[in-house]
Amino acid sequence: MAVTDAGRLRKNRGAAPLQTLLWRWPWVRPALLLTPPLAWFVLVYLTSLVLLLITAFWTIDTFTTQIVQVWNLDNFRIILTEPAYRLIIGRTVGIAALVTVTDGLLAFPFAYYMAKVASRRTQTILFAAVLLPLWASYLARVYAWILILNHSGILNWSLQSIGLPPANIGYTNTAMWLVFSYIWLPFMIIPTYAALERVPDSLLEAAADLGARRWRAVLDIVVPLAIPGVVAGSIFTFSLTLGDYITPILVGGAGSTFIGNVVYIGAFEAL
Amino acid sequence: MAVKSKEAKPEAAGGQSPHPAALRLHGVRKNYGHVVGVDGVDLTVDEGEFFTLLGPSGSGKTTLLRLIAGFERPDAGRIELGGRDVTSMPPHLRETNTVFQDYALFPHMTVGENIGYGLRVKGVPAAERRERVERAVRMVRLVGLDKRRPNQLSGGQRQRVALARAVVNEPEVLLLDEPLGALDLKLRQEMQLELKRIQKQVGITFIYVTHDQEEALTMSDRVAVMANGRIEQIGPPLELYERPATEFVAGFIGISNLLTRDGIKFVVRPEKLHILLEEDSPEPGMTVEPGVVEQVIYVGQSTRFNVRLDQGEPLVAVRQNTEAADEALQIGGRRIRLAWAPEHTYVLDQQQEPDAKPASVENTKEK
Amino acid sequence: MAPQTSIGPGEGQLNLVLWDGYADKSWVDPFTATTGCKVNQKPAGSSDEMVSLMKDGGAGQWDMVSASGDADLRLIYGGDVKPMNTSLIPDFANFQTYFKAPGYNTINGIHYGISLQWGPNTLLYSTKKFPNAPTSWSTIYDPANKGLLTVPDNPIQIADAALYLSKTQPNLGIKDPYELTQKQFDASVALLKQQRPLIKKYWALATDEITLFQNGDVVAGAAWPFQTIQLKAAGAAVAETIPIEGATGWADTWMLATKATHPNCAYLWTKWVSTPKVQAMQALSFGETPVNTKACAEMEALSAGSCAQYHADAPGSYFNTIKFWTTPTATCDDGSNNCIPYAQWQAAWTTITA
Repeated sequence: MAVTDAGRLRKNRGAAPLQTLLWRWPWVRPALLLTPPLAWFVLVYLTSLVLLLITAFWTIDTFTTQIVQVWNLDNFRIILTEPAYRLIIGRTVGIAALVTVTDGLLAFPFAYYMAKVASRRTQTILFAAVLLPLWASYLARVYAWILILNHSGILNWSLQSIGLPPANIGYTNTAMWLVFSYIWLPFMIIPTYAALERVPDSLLEAAADLGARRWRAVLDIVVPLAIPGVVAGSIFTFSLTLGDYITPILVGGAGSTFIGNVVYIGAFEAL
Repeated sequence: MAVKSKEAKPEAAGGQSPHPAALRLHGVRKNYGHVVGVDGVDLTVDEGEFFTLLGPSGSGKTTLLRLIAGFERPDAGRIELGGRDVTSMPPHLRETNTVFQDYALFPHMTVGENIGYGLRVKGVPAAERRERVERAVRMVRLVGLDKRRPNQLSGGQRQRVALARAVVNEPEVLLLDEPLGALDLKLRQEMQLELKRIQKQVGITFIYVTHDQEEALTMSDRVAVMANGRIEQIGPPLELYERPATEFVAGFIGISNLLTRDGIKFVVRPEKLHILLEEDSPEPGMTVEPGVVEQVIYVGQSTRFNVRLDQGEPLVAVRQNTEAADEALQIGGRRIRLAWAPEHTYVLDQQQEPDAKPASVENTKEK
Repeated sequence: MAPQTSIGPGEGQLNLVLWDGYADKSWVDPFTATTGCKVNQKPAGSSDEMVSLMKDGGAGQWDMVSASGDADLRLIYGGDVKPMNTSLIPDFANFQTYFKAPGYNTINGIHYGISLQWGPNTLLYSTKKFPNAPTSWSTIYDPANKGLLTVPDNPIQIADAALYLSKTQPNLGIKDPYELTQKQFDASVALLKQQRPLIKKYWALATDEITLFQNGDVVAGAAWPFQTIQLKAAGAAVAETIPIEGATGWADTWMLATKATHPNCAYLWTKWVSTPKVQAMQALSFGETPVNTKACAEMEALSAGSCAQYHADAPGSYFNTIKFWTTPTATCDDGSNNCIPYAQWQAAWTTITA
C-alpha cells in the first residue's frame, strides 16, 4: 500500500511542471497542436505555389523543353491577348457555372425530399443511392455515358425505337455538361441535405401556422436556411468542373478543350 | 392569397348561441400505429378563456394541441373553431396561432421580421404591419431589440418574441405548447404573470399545454387533466385540487393522501391534516388515526412529515412554519395521531377506469 | 564523348520509357532469361510526355526511350540522349537503307539511336459510307462530312495539312511539310481551322479512334494501320488507304539516355529487338512495320501475307512517298532561319483545337 502511494505521489510530481505550464499559458497547447500542420503548409504548399508563380515569369525553350530563366511577362501577355485562351477560359468557367446551376436545381428538391419528406427507411435508401456511385471509378462512370450518348448508344436507340430522329450529343459540350452534372451531383446533394436536415420541422410548422402555404414556407424559410449548404455544394461542383481535364478528353468533342487540358499539355512542355 | 376569415359562418354556429364557443372538439381521436395519441376527446372552450391541458408526457396533450392547430389530421371526430368546422383545413387556413415549445423562431430573420411574418404572408400593408409589430414589441416589452436576430437574445426574450409573433395576428385561439418549459424557475414565474396580463390585455382565447400542475393552477380559468389520451377531469383549479374526480387527478395535482376505509376510497390533502402529540386532543367530529413519524423534511416556509399509519398507509402532512420550526423537527420517530375533519375528505369516483394510474405513462414520446 | 565499343555483362536492370506494348511479355521474357536484364517499363501517352520524362538525360532513372520522329531532335539537342555504336548491333546491316541514317535520328553521320519500327498515317474510312474508296485527303477537309471526322490531337498534324497543300496549292511552294515558312505555315493552320468545325473529336489514344468508328460517330479520319487492324478484327466495315497526296509517317527509335545507368543492358536490348524474329513479333502485335528487311519471312511465318500488307518488303523508292515525322526547327533545308519551329506548332495547335 505504501509503495503504491509513494509511486502515485512521484508520478503526480513528475507531471506537474508540464501540466502547470500548459495551464498557465493556454496558448502553448494550440501552438503545439498547430505547428506541424502549419510548417507543412508553409513549406510544401505555399513554397510550391510560389515557385510555380515564379516560373510563370520565365520562358521555356519548347524545342529542348528547358526552362530559360529570363524574367518576362510573355506568358501573361499570351494568356490575356490570345483569343484561343480567352475562349478556353470562357468555356471552362461557363460550363462550370452551368453545371453548378443545374446541380443546384436538381439537388434541392431531391435533398428536400430526403431531409423533410421521406421516411427513415426511404431516406437510407436514397442516401445509399446518392453515395453508392461515388464508390465506382470516375472513369467507369464517364465511359458509361459514352455508351449512352454515342451514335449507336442507348439514347439514340431509344429515340429511334419511338420514332424520333437521333440526337447526336455524343462528343459535344452538351455531353460534357450532362456528364459533369451527373458526376458532381452527389457533391451538391450531400451538403444541401445536411443544411436542410438542420432546419427544424417546427420552423415549417410555424410558417404554416402563421398562414404560409407550403411553397411559401419553403421559399421564405427553408431556402434561406439551406443557402450555406447550397453554397458549399456549389463550391464543390464549380471547382471540380473547373479543374477537370478527363471528361473533356473522354466525352468532349472538337472544341471542348478545358483549362485543365491546356495545363495538362503545357505541363509536359514546362516540367 | 389565403387570408383567414375572421367571420364565423352563421350556419355553423347552429343558432344555439350568439357567441359560439371559441373551440369545440367532438370525439377527436388520433392513433400512431398501435399507440393511442388522443382517444376520443370532447371539449368546449369559451371565448376569452385561459384553458389549460395538463398531463404527464405521453398523455396526449400536445397531440391534442397539434390537432387543433392542424399539424396533425385526426382519425375521427370534428374540430370547430369559432363555430366553423376546420377538421379538414390545413394549418395556414385556421384562425389559430401557436407558441412552440422550442419557439421555432426563424433564425435568419430579425425580431421584427419574425413578428411581422404572419402579417406579411397575409398581405397586410407595410404601414399597418409596422404599426402592429411595434405594438406587439411594446406589449412583450422588447422595445429596442427588434433589429436583433433570435440567436442574440436570451431564452426569456426569445419566448416573448414567439408570443408576440403569434399574438400580433390576433387569432381566435392562441395555442401555447409548454412555452415556459425551457426557462428557469424565477423567469418562469415572471412569465406566468406576464402571460396572464397579456391574455387579459388582448382578450384572446388561450389554450395552454403544460405538465406543471402548479403553473396550470396559477394561470388557468379552467384546466383539463389528461391521461392516456383522455380527459380525466375538467374544471377550475380550485375544483380540481379540492375535489379531484379520479385517483389520477388526485395524484397528479398536489400531494395526494389516498386512503380506503370501509371500501370507500378517499383523499385527504396534507395541509388539512392535524398532527396530535400525546397531550393534544382532537377537535370534536374529527377522524383520528395513530401512526409513526418516519421522516421530517424542512422546506423553508413549511415542514413536511412523512407518517406511517398503524393501518399501513403512508400519509404526508404539511404544517406552515408560522412559528420557529425547531420544535417540529424534534418529532421524528415519535408516535403521533393524525386528525382530519370529514368535510376535508373527498371520495373518489368509483366508476373510474382501473388503468388511469398517475404519471405512469412514460412509454411513448409525445409527437 | 565516343560511344562504347563493346558490350559488357548486363547490369541486371533496364528502365525503359516507351509506347505501351513496345515491351511485350512474349519477347521480354526470353530477353531477361538470356541476359539477366530485368525490364522495367514506363509507358508514355505522348511524344511531349516522353521528352518531359527524359529531361536531364533520364536523370539516371531511365536508360532508354522509344522516341518517335517528332521527339527525336528535341531529345538530341536537349542533350538528353547520346550517340550509339551501330557496329554493336549485328542486324543493323539488314535494315532498310532509309532507316540506317534517317535525318530525324542521325546528325552529321552520328547515330543518336537505332531505328525500330515505322508506320504510315493512313486515311481510315467506313466502307458503308464510302463504297468507293476515297483517293484524296480532301475527304477529311470536305464539309459534306461535317461532324463525322476525326484526326489525331497532335501538333504534328499541321504537317498533314501542309502535305495536302503541297499538292493542291503548288503555288505555296511547300517541299517539306516539316519545314514551313510563315506563309506556308499560316496557310496550313488556316486549313486546319476550317477543318475544325467538321471534326467530331480529336483523338488522343488509338483506342479512342477505334471506339469512334465502332459506334458510328465518325466515318473517316487519319489513323495508323493499328486501328484498321483492330477494327477489322472486331468486324467493323472499314478500310484504309494512302491517298494520292501521299502520307506522313512515324518511325520510332530506341535512344540511349545520356545518364543511362545500365548501358550494357540497353545495348543487349537494342540488339535483341533488332533481330528479325522480335521485329516481326512486335510488328504484328502493334500493327507497324519492321525496319529489318529480314523480318519479312518471320512475318509471313507468323501471319501469311502480312509482309506485303505492312509494306515490309517495300522497295527503297517507297520511302520517298512517306514524309516521316521529324521535329520542326527554325533552320530550313536551305540553311536559312525562316522556318517555323516546333514551339509555334504547339501554340498554333492550341488555337486550332480550342
